[in-house]
Amino acid sequence: LTTCETSKSENHEEEEADRSKRIRSEEEKEVVVYHPVKLSRNDLYRPPTAEELNQLKEAESLFHCSLLKMQMEELLKEVVLSEHRKQQIDSFIQTVTKLIQTVPKTPKVEVNDMSWLSGAVKVPFLLLPKTTKGKFCMAPPASVDLIGSYALGTCIKPHIRVDMAVTLPAEVLQPKDFLNQRYPRKRALYLAGLAQHLQSSSEVVTLRFSCLHGNRLRPILLLTPSGKDSSSFTVGVHACLPPGYFKPSRFHPKRNNIRTEWYTGLKTSNPGKSSEPPTPHYNNSILGDLLPRSHLQFLSAVSSKCSAFADGVALLKVWLHQRQLDQGAGCFNGFLASMLLAYLLISHRISSTMTAYQLLRNSLNFIASTDLTVSGISLAKNPDPTAPSLADFHDAFQVVFVDPSGHLNMCADVTACTYKQLQHEASVSMHFWDDPSVDGFHCLLMTPKPMIRTSDHVFQLCDLVKLQSSCKKQNLLCELMDHSGDYIHTALPFILSLLQRGLGQRIHLLAHSLTPSPVWSVESEAPKYKTQPPLSFGLLLNPEISAAVLERGPPADSSKVPEFRQLWGPRSELRRFQDGAITEAVLWEGKSMYQKRLVPKQIITHLLQLHADIPESSVRFVGALVDDVVPSTGEEESLVVVQSYDDLSRKLWKLEGLPLSITAVQGAHPALRYTQVFPPEPLVLDHSFFDRDKISRSLVPKDVKPCPQYITPITVICHMEGSGKWPHDRLAIRHIRAAFHISLAELLKKDHNYTCRPCPTHLDVWKNGLAFRIQVAYHREPQVLRERVTAEGLLVVRDNEEAQALEMATIHKPLLTSMLHGLQQQHPCFGAVCRLAKRWLAAQLFSDEITEDAADLLVASLFLQPAPFTAPGSPQVGFLRFLHLLSSFDWRNNPLVVNLNNQLTAADYTEIKNDFMASRDSLPVMFLATPKDKKLSLWTRRAPSIQMLQRVMMVAAESLKVLECQLMDGSQMQDVRVVMRPPLEAYDVLIHLNPNQVPLLGQAVDPPAVTFNRGVVPNGAPQSGGPLPVIDYNPVTLYLMELREAFGDLALFFCDPYGGTVISVLWKPKTFVSAPFKTSQITARTVEVMGEEVKTIPNFGAILEDFRVLGKGLVKSVEAKTEKWAF
Amino acid sequence: MAASGKKHVRNTACVIPGGFTVLSLQFSPDSPAQHSVFVKEHKVRAERSSGRPLDRTLFVLNVPPYCSREVVRELFSIFGNVSSVELRDHPGSSEGSEPKLSRFFRPAEKQGFKVGYIVFEKSASVAAAKSHPRHVPLVVSTDQRPVKTGVQKWIQQYSQSFIPPDKLQQSVDAFMQDYDKRKEEEEERQRNEAEKQKDDEEGWVKVTRGHKGTKARPHSEAANHRALQREMRKKRRKELMNFYTWQHRNTQKEHIAELRKKFEEDKQRIALMRAQRKFRPY
Repeated sequence: LTTCETSKSENHEEEEADRSKRIRSEEEKEVVVYHPVKLSRNDLYRPPTAEELNQLKEAESLFHCSLLKMQMEELLKEVVLSEHRKQQIDSFIQTVTKLIQTVPKTPKVEVNDMSWLSGAVKVPFLLLPKTTKGKFCMAPPASVDLIGSYALGTCIKPHIRVDMAVTLPAEVLQPKDFLNQRYPRKRALYLAGLAQHLQSSSEVVTLRFSCLHGNRLRPILLLTPSGKDSSSFTVGVHACLPPGYFKPSRFHPKRNNIRTEWYTGLKTSNPGKSSEPPTPHYNNSILGDLLPRSHLQFLSAVSSKCSAFADGVALLKVWLHQRQLDQGAGCFNGFLASMLLAYLLISHRISSTMTAYQLLRNSLNFIASTDLTVSGISLAKNPDPTAPSLADFHDAFQVVFVDPSGHLNMCADVTACTYKQLQHEASVSMHFWDDPSVDGFHCLLMTPKPMIRTSDHVFQLCDLVKLQSSCKKQNLLCELMDHSGDYIHTALPFILSLLQRGLGQRIHLLAHSLTPSPVWSVESEAPKYKTQPPLSFGLLLNPEISAAVLERGPPADSSKVPEFRQLWGPRSELRRFQDGAITEAVLWEGKSMYQKRLVPKQIITHLLQLHADIPESSVRFVGALVDDVVPSTGEEESLVVVQSYDDLSRKLWKLEGLPLSITAVQGAHPALRYTQVFPPEPLVLDHSFFDRDKISRSLVPKDVKPCPQYITPITVICHMEGSGKWPHDRLAIRHIRAAFHISLAELLKKDHNYTCRPCPTHLDVWKNGLAFRIQVAYHREPQVLRERVTAEGLLVVRDNEEAQALEMATIHKPLLTSMLHGLQQQHPCFGAVCRLAKRWLAAQLFSDEITEDAADLLVASLFLQPAPFTAPGSPQVGFLRFLHLLSSFDWRNNPLVVNLNNQLTAADYTEIKNDFMASRDSLPVMFLATPKDKKLSLWTRRAPSIQMLQRVMMVAAESLKVLECQLMDGSQMQDVRVVMRPPLEAYDVLIHLNPNQVPLLGQAVDPPAVTFNRGVVPNGAPQSGGPLPVIDYNPVTLYLMELREAFGDLALFFCDPYGGTVISVLWKPKTFVSAPFKTSQITARTVEVMGEEVKTIPNFGAILEDFRVLGKGLVKSVEAKTEKWAF
Repeated sequence: MAASGKKHVRNTACVIPGGFTVLSLQFSPDSPAQHSVFVKEHKVRAERSSGRPLDRTLFVLNVPPYCSREVVRELFSIFGNVSSVELRDHPGSSEGSEPKLSRFFRPAEKQGFKVGYIVFEKSASVAAAKSHPRHVPLVVSTDQRPVKTGVQKWIQQYSQSFIPPDKLQQSVDAFMQDYDKRKEEEEERQRNEAEKQKDDEEGWVKVTRGHKGTKARPHSEAANHRALQREMRKKRRKELMNFYTWQHRNTQKEHIAELRKKFEEDKQRIALMRAQRKFRPY
């Protein structure tokens, strides 16, 4: 099955490739384009009406702009149910109600006797223990009413759920039913009876059971209409108690309603009532059935007072849904959202005249600032004296929000962690809402936040059965009884608090997935707890501390030692530190940065093993599955490069005897900002592998041997002091620079014995096994290149390509490097994300479309403007968000602003946006604005083209989907490299290369088994001096350059620069058009003469032959897929 | 070989409308495919360049990237002695007068398909080339004179890229001497001109503002622009804002119009987003 899955995804990609090709060949695309508005003078200046004036003023004062207001209105229109849909629902409800009311009576039997049910319907209840007392019969319900969001008018798309309450008739019930699951079982039996009755009718096609918010004590019956609107809505039938049937005080959280004796089946020695443990969760679940109608009345009374109530609830629900907080066990559902709004209205925190926008804002503000885990709130105005106090509730439940009756805690199942997550989300939202640089609407309500993309690390508990033994180990029998045997939710709070204690300051937030309510067909038994999907936990790391290998405990003589030892078990040991202190401490393994990032994993597996009896094999840690696609020691290697560079730069500064002094030494290479995918490693060379160039004492590759190891030159820009001695002429400046290179080389050789090679454009320095390429720069040179004297002697300044390229190399690149280097210091995983992102781009053959610098900037934007997330704390999550950014950003209508060093103000943002809108068509398709480059998007000016960007977006979306599925589902085939293997079917020609001439072969996504000797001595100590090695010699790049220069007009060439052994060629569509003979467009074409007319067609045979000729020695074979060529 | 080419002249030369003769060219004797090279005599009305004499120059289109000047010279010497070969990216007149650069400082050449201007010693050679039959291809690389491509060529390129520092220094020095000399000459010329202005034959002195030799007004585009801006600013400073009632009313009107315009813009943006289904939250 798994292979089938992957092949499907590949197929999909392939299809998409085809589609992109099709789009490209059609050249015409359906794009809705934004044009600047043109209003006539009359329209603009006509006198305003009072109403219009009000509207305009409101928009100006209440919102950032009227845009946000209109966006919210549009969103509401999208989610609100249409009239047509409502009619459908109403008519369906009517028929269902009629059917339910005609349910036939059956004779009274024991509850345990289920023989009256035909075999086709099973009871939706896990019968644990097997039997209980009581009598049961079927009878028509006392009443059938609508309850919940549909009745209130706050129901929104999608997943429309209409809730109906069916009140059990009095004859079914007995006064003692609250004890020992008697009522819950009757409720389940009654639903089964209803299901059996409905099954015989033709109106309802699908009947399924589910349970309310994952609580197995409260099953519900789901009805789905037949025919075409089968998936449009579901009706949930709840069985309820008649109002006031039981006294609510019976369900005080301190009282016991499940007897230990009955539950365990063992006779206890002292049957005294006082020793029985309280069962708050059980009590709460029965109490919940007493009150739905009064809740509805309460909410409709509140909503009638506030006109925007329904809209406010709808917005809040969308907000919750995007954060995956509104479904599953222990969720903060729409009902709670409406109750919260009602609370705010009643307590006058919001006024009834506010708009939906303000309601949302105020409720988020309230959530962010109120901690319901310590100070619960209550809706009860004057609670009756029997009602429990807030303190009672706090003792029994983690989160407290009491309903209007004063007896029910509506947040009983919500864990403290979920509430903390809610609070965190609310405060993050409030934070970016006010930021004018963020598209508030989009981040707030439109961006989904799945756990895998939100949390830095995610781990899953796979074998849920193991939790049973955790319950046993922690002695949680009473709690288990209270949860009626649901060991998952019994153990969950305990595990959460354990992890919270163990991880402590390392994490900002511990979130967990909410187990979705199981849905099963009426014919099958209720599913067991262990069949539920794995529990996922998400960690939001504190980057400064999370990777620390040492956990320092209390001093040896402190009273806290036992506690510390109890938590960490045998891992805790006494240690003496440099400051003289002797403390308890735990030391985790971690040599490289990559391993240190996994310290939380070590902690989690250790604690779970120690305290919860969960073996390491049932914990699936997905925090770093993607990371090993790039070398894991990259950070350390980059550090070596940076240190070597620092040393060189110091030595350059100290050089004496230069005619002008050095004003700045700047690095301009990705390795110097920790973002090089494969950072250069110091090498020791085997000289016998090479030829020698006698005059220059340099090594030269031999053509009979495999291509030597590629040595990356690390670019360093060396700015020279400005002086009147510099000539004012472009050629002369170039010669002076060459002279500087020569004298720098002489000095470096003399003072430090570095091997140097001066060239007119640069100076190569061989230092400790690394190659640096120093370029001398003169800050006025771009200006000189731009100046020109016209015939009249007027000095004019005109921009040109040469000047731009020079500015890019000597000004912008060093600046970017230093800024991103700074970013790496703030966010330790920035470099790792960049490396993953660039590896992916290269593997998918996009590295020529999105350059290294542009990719680094894209990643930087994820860190600088993470809304609605927080800055990525692990490489994997950063990479997932990079893919999401690529695939979902609206490049056509928005500039991506990368606010490096926080230099841009709100006014700058507006300016950038306006300039962008005004001249959209002439700007690059992918527009990146930085503080130093607000108008031009320097880094994406050349590429990508619109077609390639589309392809990038599509492939990114597909990769993201495949990757997220794989990461979240342990049962799928686990091979993250699937997203790094591009489909090659879409290309016209494949040029296969000789692996021995591909110097970076070892860096391939799937490195081949064979390796070649490339003239490197393994494990040698790098030295300076000696002959100059072969620097920057890569046959693949040279070949690609020749191909592009010769055939760039006819075809596109793609290759993975990191060890790709295939060059893929795609003909441009216009290649196939036969054109009339023109001297300027005859490249690689031949002619066909038809009478007087001459047509030129591309000479494919000769071109393919040229591919072989130009790459002689490198090309293994040329595979032409002629069947794809569209003549 | 030239003789054998001439034998087939009349019946097999392939001339296409437009006056070009199609020649075939293949890389090695056993290459399976051939390029088409188009040749014609060089005929341009306004060319005065001495480098391309009209009667002896052959204009060649579609010269493949592996044909360097030496290779082209060899290839076309079968039609007669070649005196010079010029290869360019695009057809056009020959280069302007840049100062002569040493080979280290010349920009790297593009390795694409080229157009060539081949000057023969005799004009008969042009005709010979034009009447060469299509089915007898020119062969670039033979056993006698192999042409390096691929890995061999790149290694050769790499080893040729070494420049001995002393030679580089020499060429820099030579250029800078030349540059200094040119500069001095230029200054000399300017000084002479200034001298000329100073007093003419009859002893009259021409009076100008400022120092001798310099112009009173900065003579650059940027300076012109700055001066213009300054004038504008001065003008604006003198204006009175919101002084009269009508001015005040106008400002208010402008404000409302501004709001309205923004409103309309937002509305359009929304319409656009709606069209793109941007409001579906999930």
